[in-house]
Amino acid sequence: MSDPFIRIDGVTRTYGEVYAVDDVSLDIRQGELFCLLGGSGCGKSTLLRMLAGFDRPTAGRIVIDGRDMTDVPPHARDVNMMFQSYALFPHMSVERNIAYGLHRAGMPKAQIATRVTEMLGLVQLDKLARRKPDQLSGGQRQRVALARALARRPKLLLLDEPLGALDRKLREETQLELKKIQTTLGITFIVVTHDQEEAMTLGDRLGVMNAGRIVQIGAPHEVYEFPQSRFVADFIGTVNLFEGTIAEDRDTDAVIASPEAGIDIRIPHAVTGTKGQDVAVALRPEKIVIARALPEPYDNTLAGEVRDIVYNGNLSVFHVLLASGKRVRVSRTNRLRAETEDISVGDRVELGFTGRSAVVLPS
Amino acid sequence: MSRAALRIVVVAGFVFLYAPILSLVIYSFNESRLVTVWGGFSTKWYGELLRDTQILEAAWISLKIAFLAACLSTILGTLAATALARHGRFRGRTMLGGLVTAPLVMPEVIIGLSLLLLFVAMESLVGWPAGRGLTTIVIAHATFGTAFAVVVIQARMVALDRSLEEAAQDLGARPLRVFFDVTLPGLAPALVAAWLLAFTLSLDDVVIASFVAGPGSSTLPMVIFSKVRLGVSPEVNALATLVIVAVTVVVLAAAWISARRPATDAGPH
Repeated sequence: MSDPFIRIDGVTRTYGEVYAVDDVSLDIRQGELFCLLGGSGCGKSTLLRMLAGFDRPTAGRIVIDGRDMTDVPPHARDVNMMFQSYALFPHMSVERNIAYGLHRAGMPKAQIATRVTEMLGLVQLDKLARRKPDQLSGGQRQRVALARALARRPKLLLLDEPLGALDRKLREETQLELKKIQTTLGITFIVVTHDQEEAMTLGDRLGVMNAGRIVQIGAPHEVYEFPQSRFVADFIGTVNLFEGTIAEDRDTDAVIASPEAGIDIRIPHAVTGTKGQDVAVALRPEKIVIARALPEPYDNTLAGEVRDIVYNGNLSVFHVLLASGKRVRVSRTNRLRAETEDISVGDRVELGFTGRSAVVLPS
Repeated sequence: MSRAALRIVVVAGFVFLYAPILSLVIYSFNESRLVTVWGGFSTKWYGELLRDTQILEAAWISLKIAFLAACLSTILGTLAATALARHGRFRGRTMLGGLVTAPLVMPEVIIGLSLLLLFVAMESLVGWPAGRGLTTIVIAHATFGTAFAVVVIQARMVALDRSLEEAAQDLGARPLRVFFDVTLPGLAPALVAAWLLAFTLSLDDVVIASFVAGPGSSTLPMVIFSKVRLGVSPEVNALATLVIVAVTVVVLAAAWISARRPATDAGPH
């Protein structure tokens, strides 16, 4: 296998006793859009700053395109960053902001002008070239910051919470635009975000971080559908966790005894673990069917009482209380308008799900 | 407090602060030689002032000293503030911070005396500065001007968005380039303020200057002080009025400049 474009190799960063980044190893392919996802203080920003050169690893090394970056200062790296605060130079116009990196690279004047025009076109700001940053809206500033960071055609673009300051509608449009630009230019992007929805929409792959470590890497659907730990299952989306023990584990199926669910949960495949081991069964709210009486049989059926209904417009979330005292969240698309009224708070309901949709997590 | 009472307090406050200055301005237009007796309106003391070569010369010396001391203070203040605000924890940081701002609380008599001793010792050891005069006053004024400049500039530098400098670095600027392209423009309002402060303090100082001045380098405050000891003349009132006008113009200009260049730390935060 050929060497990866970016290799993060056993990188650790400590501040005194605190491990901000703890032995992270990660390979990123050329042209990939990789999202680092995690809560605040998980180390994702520190990792990004080490890639940009603002921070040095305490241990380990970072190799970009075959070159060890440990001793390379930020100004000499073929890496650019889009800052969370955008960090536009307030005393320079939009075009001078975009041209700044090109001047530093010693590009001839005529070529700079062409490149700036091209970048302004790319982010659709042609008409605002002469404005100062404080005369722009948040969305426009975001695009200037992107254009400035891309102007030098870096090998790698780092984006720190690129859409964090935009409102919801604008964020959705910009996500698609960002992805389009990335595909067009073929530049490798590493995006840091705490917003799991953003990470799933943008990323070719995600790396979920917790307490300085990467806890899972994979394509968005892999991370969502096959979380490898309770942390990931819980952090990405919402999940119902049923505590239990492995009662039977055969080649073709398994049974998890779960007093919390009130049943033996049937899983139609082998699980990793030994008989009697404590596990948790993770089940997403949308994988459960809810009805007063289920129209067809399921491998697993629970019974409970509806305690709460949260109406979200496109879907409704039902909070169902089981006999064990466990609350289960079930979501259902409001396909018909009348459907919103067929189950009400206080109703006895049946919940059905197939074991194929559940994930068994070691405790 | 009722509105009327509040108004009385405000008026009383202004009277307390500005009545002495106002009376000085009014008496500068007094015909009479006696400062305390009104003898009709006249501008003759301004004419006298313009013919007084001693005062004009002292004013010119003071302006030269204030200009040089203010420039020196701003440059040194910027360097010290950069070290304190941007270079994290280094050996002797606390000591530098303390020493740089010590002149703020040090009695002027002590600063003046210690500088005088230093200059005398230096002259006998290395032959510089030769005698006391303009140079020694500039150096002395720069020492306490720097202290004020550091405080003003450091406060601004701490408030400047750090990521602006990082962005410049990220876009290929070397550290010195970053400083001139991003840090300095961001500091501009503070630099103007620090320069004006140092300039005013230098123009104003009589104690330290008295210690380190030599023959032929009497500053304006020193000349005024020596004149007033022989009795206040209306000429001094006229001079004081001109100084007040000059200071007012400078302060208004500074306010106008900083209003035109608002502190825009880019970004939505």
